[in-house]
Amino acid sequence: MNETDNAVRVHLYERFVAEGRPPGVAETAAALALDEAEAAQAYRRLEQAHVIVLAPGTTNVWMANPLSAVPTAFPVETERGSFFGNCIWDALGTVAMLGRSGRVETRCPDCQEPLVFTVRDGELEPVDAVVHYAVPAARWWENIAFN
Amino acid sequence: MLAFRSEEHVERWCRNMGLERGGLLRPEQQWRLADAWYANRLAADWQRRTPAEAEALFAELGLEGDFWRLAP
Repeated sequence: MNETDNAVRVHLYERFVAEGRPPGVAETAAALALDEAEAAQAYRRLEQAHVIVLAPGTTNVWMANPLSAVPTAFPVETERGSFFGNCIWDALGTVAMLGRSGRVETRCPDCQEPLVFTVRDGELEPVDAVVHYAVPAARWWENIAFN
Repeated sequence: MLAFRSEEHVERWCRNMGLERGGLLRPEQQWRLADAWYANRLAADWQRRTPAEAEALFAELGLEGDFWRLAP
């Protein structure tokens, strides 16, 4: 990752965490004194490097893993605010990234019963659940929205 | 990556969805993976793991076999 792309990455995540939404290309360009075209290219390179995911056909950030820019079935409460994870891995990853204490609420896709994962000071409280990965690791990025 | 009440619920959901059962993790394994994977994501010196590094982490957490293979 070159210096510009890393600066864009750091800015994007900082703003996402601070504001609860990812910055657009124009905002990032202004903040980092880049041309909009340069910032847009950086967004696209970060997507190609599987760091972020853009909404199809746009430069709007859809996922800056572990965070989702759109509501999901994985709301997360952390010491630094409320977010949505892309999946249970990312939801717990959001807790890990933002202080290692927090709570993820989801529902069993089979029976719709609520499942709550609570982490306190880096320790997961016991929870009667199992996590299922539908797709083998080598194929996760073929369709990152379905795993 | 979805959380279910139990393995029985995974089996039934997969049948209803016409999917083969994939990989299963205990909640503690999933938390440890999430923690190792994302704890330093905001750091300026963060770097994406190589496939070999990711596989080594999976193995450390007991996630081994073809399902968890990334490196060619």
